Amino acid sequence: MSQITSLMTDDHRSCDQTFARAETAAAKGKWDEASAAFEQFAAEMENHFDAEESLLFPKFEAATGMTEGPTKVMRGEHVEMRSALARMRDALANKDGDDYAGESETLLILMQQHNMKEENILYPMCDSHLGGSDVAAGLSERLHARA
Amino acid sequence: MIPDGQTLSYDAAPAFSTPLRFFLTAPLFGAAAGATLLAAPELLDSRWTPGALAVTHLMTVGFMLTVMLGAMFQVLPVVAGAVIPRSGPIAAIVHLAMTIGALCLAWGLGSSAHGFLMPATVLLGGGLAIFVAAAFLGLRRIPVAQATPRDMRIALIGFTIAIALGMALGLTLSNGLALPLLVVLKLHIGWALLGGAGVLLAAASWVVVPMFQITPNYPAPLTRFWALGTGAVLVLWSATVYGELGTAEFALSAALAVLCVAFAVSTLKLQRQSRRSVPDMTTRAFQLGMGSFIAGLACVLVAHHSDHQAWPILAGILVLHGGFVSVIVGMLYKIVPFLAWLHLTQDVGKAPNMKKLQPDAPIRRHLGVHASALAALLLAALAGNPWLIRLAGALVTAEFIFLFANIVKVLGNYRRAHAT
Repeated sequence: MSQITSLMTDDHRSCDQTFARAETAAAKGKWDEASAAFEQFAAEMENHFDAEESLLFPKFEAATGMTEGPTKVMRGEHVEMRSALARMRDALANKDGDDYAGESETLLILMQQHNMKEENILYPMCDSHLGGSDVAAGLSERLHARA
Repeated sequence: MIPDGQTLSYDAAPAFSTPLRFFLTAPLFGAAAGATLLAAPELLDSRWTPGALAVTHLMTVGFMLTVMLGAMFQVLPVVAGAVIPRSGPIAAIVHLAMTIGALCLAWGLGSSAHGFLMPATVLLGGGLAIFVAAAFLGLRRIPVAQATPRDMRIALIGFTIAIALGMALGLTLSNGLALPLLVVLKLHIGWALLGGAGVLLAAASWVVVPMFQITPNYPAPLTRFWALGTGAVLVLWSATVYGELGTAEFALSAALAVLCVAFAVSTLKLQRQSRRSVPDMTTRAFQLGMGSFIAGLACVLVAHHSDHQAWPILAGILVLHGGFVSVIVGMLYKIVPFLAWLHLTQDVGKAPNMKKLQPDAPIRRHLGVHASALAALLLAALAGNPWLIRLAGALVTAEFIFLFANIVKVLGNYRRAHAT
């Protein structure tokens, strides 16, 4: 696996772990724990989106000349995921376990089919166009800054 | 530059009706298989009775292959970036050909009306050829660096070989083509279940299990070499079957069984490490499926050294009903509500969440009936009691009607949400 693909895929998996912690706590009705895990998950997601939207995608667009292509679609899916996160936050605020479980399941599928597209298609394309540049180092710095 | 035909878009995803037509007709074939068992319990006397051949193909072609084709129309753009050209009309043609073809095949085999095998051969062969050609056209410029898209290509080749062998069998029965029937039959089963369905299941699992069940990744050697290795051993095995080299054939069958068990055990191990502690119906269905595969493969190996009629039947029940049907059903319960949600979000801007579109309770009840049907089938095959076989047939019919009803309920919720 090449540098960008590997780095970004690892970050997806790391977000998944926090997602599962929030899901488990909410299912057990441990609302404080669920809120803390959820807020960490939402922050990790936002950090990942931001690294893509403000660094990876612009570099990819500059290298390929494609601004209306895959990156535009990925940005659109980020918008969908941000609104799913907002609905999950509402469900947590209302301590509605069923609603949280449903919204969380929906986000999981939405997020994973998005990740599949990125990991199988977009990131390998980024590696082939941006390999040898300092993009991977910049991404690594941003993704690990939150730790 | 971005290769032509490669895109990442919801817009590139097919219309809801494209996969849905496959998902709606498939359970009806499963119910027909159960009803046949209910009406003619004597068909379980041996795997070679016309009724057993009909039931097997209602399940494999009518249910399994139909769902797999529908799912591939949907997932090839997502996991491989392959856009199947004109997927709407192509899906309609492929679906019609496969549906009528599967009916002709089951009727031709079950009633020994071999005249029906000719249209079945043409329709199933033609339908699959159109799909494979369209899929390869979509995949032609997609790099093969990732395991899932590469292994999906191998599965497409496996299905093509299986259908070609099936067509040869159809022509042998209907037109008296001079072929060694048992040899071709064995090759047909090996390529259909392992080269096609098995490799496709593995290709899907490489992404589905770690991503949706939040487990570690499969071990890299498995994702890198399993499908290629299995394909290579299958080719060698085919040579020993064709050459009627008994000992070498058994050794290679055992090697294939070890590969399959390695995949099933690895999947079960990963699922035990899942970070999701919330009970998930798809995970349960996968666990039942993998356990059944392991038991079924043991029966296949025992059947090699035993003349008892029950072993191949038990193997068939465990691999097809316990293995493939379980995992396919588990995946359908994720795919259908998600597609309903996705199309609602695209069309009207908002959608009820997935659990409102497809609640857990009816899925749990359906999987309960499915597991009972599996237990009844196994008992019936062992005991050979006609009433037990009828009970198993009734349970199989009920489970597929349940599945059909659950999918229709999701569509009802989809329509209601669309109208508001």
